[in-house]
Amino acid sequence: MEMSFDGEFEVAIPREETFELLSDVRKFAPIFPTFHSMKMKEGEENTSIVKVKVGIGKVHGIATTEMVLDECVAGQRASYVAKGNVMGGAYNTIASFDLEDTPGGGTLIKWQGTSQIFGKILSLAGGGMRGYAEKEINKVIQSLQDALSSREHFEQVVAEKHAKPPENIFTGIINFFKGLFGGGAADEASQAGAESEAEVAKPKQDFKPLKDTQIPLTAMSDSINVDGTDEKNWVGQALRRKEDARLIRGRGFFVDDDQSADMLHMGFVRSPYSHAKVGDIDVSAAEELPGVVLIMTGKQVAEQTEPFMQVGAAPGNQLIDYGIAVERVRYQGEPVVMIVAKSAREVEDAAELIEVAYEALPAIVESEDALKDETILHEEVGTNVIFNGIWDHGDVDQAFTDAAHVIKIGRLHFHRFSSTPIETAGAVVSWSRQGAVDVLSNTGLPAIASQMVAPYLGISTEQIRSRSIDVGGNFGTKTVTFPFVGLTAVASRNVGGRAVKWVETRSENLQSFHGGERTFLDTEVALDKDGVIIGLRSKHIDDCGAYTRYEPLGASIWSQVYCAMYKIRNLNIDFTQVTANKPPCTPNRGYSRLQHLWFMERVIDICAHELNIPADEMRMRNYIQPEQFPYTTPNGNIYDSGDYPQMLSKAKELIGYDQWKQKQAEWRKEGRLIGIGIGSTVDSGTNNFGQSVYVNPDSVFSGNAEAARIKIGLDGSVVVMMGSVPQGQGHETVAAQVAADDLGISPDMVTVKPGFDSSWNTFSGLSGTIASQFVVTGLSAVHGAAEKLRGELVRLAAFALEANEDDLELGVGEMGPEVRVKGSPSQSINFWMLSNLVNSNNARLPEELRDIDLNVQHVYRPPFEVPDAKKRYGNQTLTYSAQIHMAVVEVDRVTSQPKILDYVVVDDCGVAINPKIVEGQVHGAACHGIGAAMQEAFQFDDGGNMITGTFTDYAPMTSMNMPEIRCTSIETPSPFSYNGAKGCGEGGGAPLHTMSAAIQDALYEEGVILNESHNSPTILLEARQNPNKATFVEVTSR
Amino acid sequence: MPSSVQPVTVEVTVNGNKYRREIEPRMLLVEFVREELGLTGTHIGCDTSYCGACTLLLDGKPIKSCTALAVQADGCEIMTVEGLEKDGQLHPLQSAFSEHHGLQCGYCTPGMLMSSYSLLQENASPSRDEICKGIAGNVCRCTGYQNIVKAVDAAAKQVQEG
Repeated sequence: MEMSFDGEFEVAIPREETFELLSDVRKFAPIFPTFHSMKMKEGEENTSIVKVKVGIGKVHGIATTEMVLDECVAGQRASYVAKGNVMGGAYNTIASFDLEDTPGGGTLIKWQGTSQIFGKILSLAGGGMRGYAEKEINKVIQSLQDALSSREHFEQVVAEKHAKPPENIFTGIINFFKGLFGGGAADEASQAGAESEAEVAKPKQDFKPLKDTQIPLTAMSDSINVDGTDEKNWVGQALRRKEDARLIRGRGFFVDDDQSADMLHMGFVRSPYSHAKVGDIDVSAAEELPGVVLIMTGKQVAEQTEPFMQVGAAPGNQLIDYGIAVERVRYQGEPVVMIVAKSAREVEDAAELIEVAYEALPAIVESEDALKDETILHEEVGTNVIFNGIWDHGDVDQAFTDAAHVIKIGRLHFHRFSSTPIETAGAVVSWSRQGAVDVLSNTGLPAIASQMVAPYLGISTEQIRSRSIDVGGNFGTKTVTFPFVGLTAVASRNVGGRAVKWVETRSENLQSFHGGERTFLDTEVALDKDGVIIGLRSKHIDDCGAYTRYEPLGASIWSQVYCAMYKIRNLNIDFTQVTANKPPCTPNRGYSRLQHLWFMERVIDICAHELNIPADEMRMRNYIQPEQFPYTTPNGNIYDSGDYPQMLSKAKELIGYDQWKQKQAEWRKEGRLIGIGIGSTVDSGTNNFGQSVYVNPDSVFSGNAEAARIKIGLDGSVVVMMGSVPQGQGHETVAAQVAADDLGISPDMVTVKPGFDSSWNTFSGLSGTIASQFVVTGLSAVHGAAEKLRGELVRLAAFALEANEDDLELGVGEMGPEVRVKGSPSQSINFWMLSNLVNSNNARLPEELRDIDLNVQHVYRPPFEVPDAKKRYGNQTLTYSAQIHMAVVEVDRVTSQPKILDYVVVDDCGVAINPKIVEGQVHGAACHGIGAAMQEAFQFDDGGNMITGTFTDYAPMTSMNMPEIRCTSIETPSPFSYNGAKGCGEGGGAPLHTMSAAIQDALYEEGVILNESHNSPTILLEARQNPNKATFVEVTSR
Repeated sequence: MPSSVQPVTVEVTVNGNKYRREIEPRMLLVEFVREELGLTGTHIGCDTSYCGACTLLLDGKPIKSCTALAVQADGCEIMTVEGLEKDGQLHPLQSAFSEHHGLQCGYCTPGMLMSSYSLLQENASPSRDEICKGIAGNVCRCTGYQNIVKAVDAAAKQVQEG
């Protein structure tokens, strides 16, 4: 189509001079409002290549126009032809200027312009073009007229434009075309408006308004460069994180950062007893406090709610749990009375005034005591045993018959600790009058939490909008905050739906969420003459604390790593889970597996010492060998890939094993207690929830699923939403890396919505960041969605460009992300235009393309089956990462304080999507494990009183006690994940095994066999004062 | 605020801006900054002054603002994490934390940055041990500290080189 325009205007500059200015393409081009830069075409005096800025938001770019001074009559006429390609089309514009003298000595400029446009996309725009084009041309003429106010001014404008291209100008001759599709000019206006408004809004007075007013104009996640290179795949590069942009500025949004002014605050009176009957509760004095809005006892809460769903089988599932004590308290710190007040300080005031009568009951602290059932925590269950099951695989009796050595090992105990994220648990809940519940929280599995909380409240899961933005660490511990989310919802419902915030204090947190504790009894190991373990028998008692919450799932999770790294085929483990008068347990980094792996590593090292086989050699003899992968374990788990011998030799090389051995021998002669230890972890990732049949044959959970959505926004931006609930693992960055590769763009061009929001409708019933799974579940979902989106983009572009789908490719052109004909970059259409065709300009779209949304979701479901509940056989997780740690430790002869002299890590998580983030996970996991091994423990007295109730007593690791560790890795790609990656989050157990092994090595000559996972100086001193070797281990050889 | 308690006036300068508020006398400085001024970058991570998530600078000295009353800051200059970025330019520490992956969940980061900032004010080229000591009062549960130490070291060098 063709359009013509004309007009005239007068300027004061004499005609000859005006002609001089207009006929010099170097001077003329910069007058365009969107001028960016120009250069002259080589060898052609009258032809320039002019670049102009175009676009908005992410689709901004530079468009190139070839401008030729086509006709030139000295002093009278100058005519230009401009040609260019844009949006899958082309344009050709002729602009001419005829000059006449005016009576005042100036010039009358008569101008005329004709534009022709070609191409399907542009013609689709139809007649709507003319009005817009006229406006744009007027702008060009206006700026020409302004510039020509005087010769000096004209020269000055040209000089400035050449020196510094204007910023933030998005309209122009190219937007003339873009604008047809909605937005260009309007966006400029709103953007410019917003900026100037912000300028004006700066308060002139001394005192600022209440809230921080510095709201960034652009999304924070977009304002940091990820620093990669687009010359190779984005996946695999150690990019900086998108999340950092807000977090390093203090602009994250954690639950407690919701500071709405009319919000109410909720807190509890908590039990000082670990086990007691609850008597009279007097709240009268507290109710008198002016700031107090609501007080509810546990009994009152129970009248309005249903007990939380239990995941186990009978009789354990008879346990009644309202999240708050009704008639009995079962752990110190259990909520007894709920208080809502205008501030958190007034909640505390009220709590001090509430009197509760308690009648103390005997406390169960040790697992073995729980088994006796002399005192029963939950009478409705009738026993403290929540679960018992026997894992029996191979022929264990035969193995013991065949054994060359049988080694019996005494009681081993894995202690309670927690990775204590620095952000405690919290929630802000409000109800609408229509019954919709808004939950802002940091709960780890919001979809599961909703499935727990909805029946508790007597509502549908679909009434709950659950969301999180930034979460200040989790490590599994926030998985079971759902009872508190439920209680916060009860509080809000009872105050007319007003927003109620619950944020626990650190002391409350330490009383609420503990990692699992386990005791190992009656262990017997059968070995052949070479020290290869051929059979293993043991009884394990897991203590889940006072309430089950997520348990007894842990009673099946450990068996993911049944045989650890070793080729043992005959095992018999009698596994029991009990309740005790201690805080409820939660998953904690390495959930349930690290306890079992610690046990297996103790077995390996104790046997090695007893048989006088070096610890490294013992492992080499027992490892599953590289050529055996994929390896099916005796209970049906399929270890996908690995090379344990290579990892061990790398670890030895890195630490300088032989040199340390030599030093150890020398220093021992001086009386120093030096030990070298090896610890390994199989980090099973991507859970098959079907393993829940091991603890409940009627379980309604199986498989796994994660969802991701990708859309092209109205302005062409690429937006990703995930169900994965990140808590610091950099999901926004790695998801952007994956999407960028799939869509041929850069991660900077991908906006990943932070956090989780059920209103995105992008989640599954099992969504969440648990079990080292994001890299498989989350990224497979993102990849699947990106591929679907790519397919839609290509179909749509094939229509718009009148090309074959096979000839198209995705990439970044001058106009941002685009689909283009391979080898013919001028035939392209950008994402913004494609979005426009679907979203706002779709009447001309043919019928066969009307299924395209450019807004697609993919749910990834790993290929799992439900394991055999009776045989306890089946694949429980999809991938099996591995870590081998080595440490050199010295135990002080006088104080028994262990000190790490050297520490190395070898990691294998398959293909690393972002090596920087993987390294961060390795460091963090190592720190948790070292902390737990050395100084972090929840300790109780005989009455169940926790004596490490604050950070000061619990003493989480600081920079002062974290040694410098050295890391390396190997890469055995998983054959089961599309990207070859395996989980990388939970090598956290390895330091516990490593430290036990190293300290064991240091103290063995003193006759000490370590039987605790915690190695405080007190424990070690006691062990050294009472050497146990003679009674703890019994070796029978034949 | 309990009705028997008389509010007190606190005037402070935070990141160069003056604020005046009527508050209850028992309000902690961290509560004041977060609740009254809406500067939520300063976090709360414990209740025994152990974790340092609430670290800010009071008259140039780093303090754990959970262990100071807001009234103690009356008339003082406060700098919080929100004050590190100047004229749209990140402080070298902020860039270095990102560059060296010195943060994961980001919850401890503001306190960590403020302690590091203070360290570099006093010691322009700290050794590894001095850096560890400088951030000993700040707990990070995600990173294992190694990359934080690297980041502070890199930032120190960058500041020195100008």
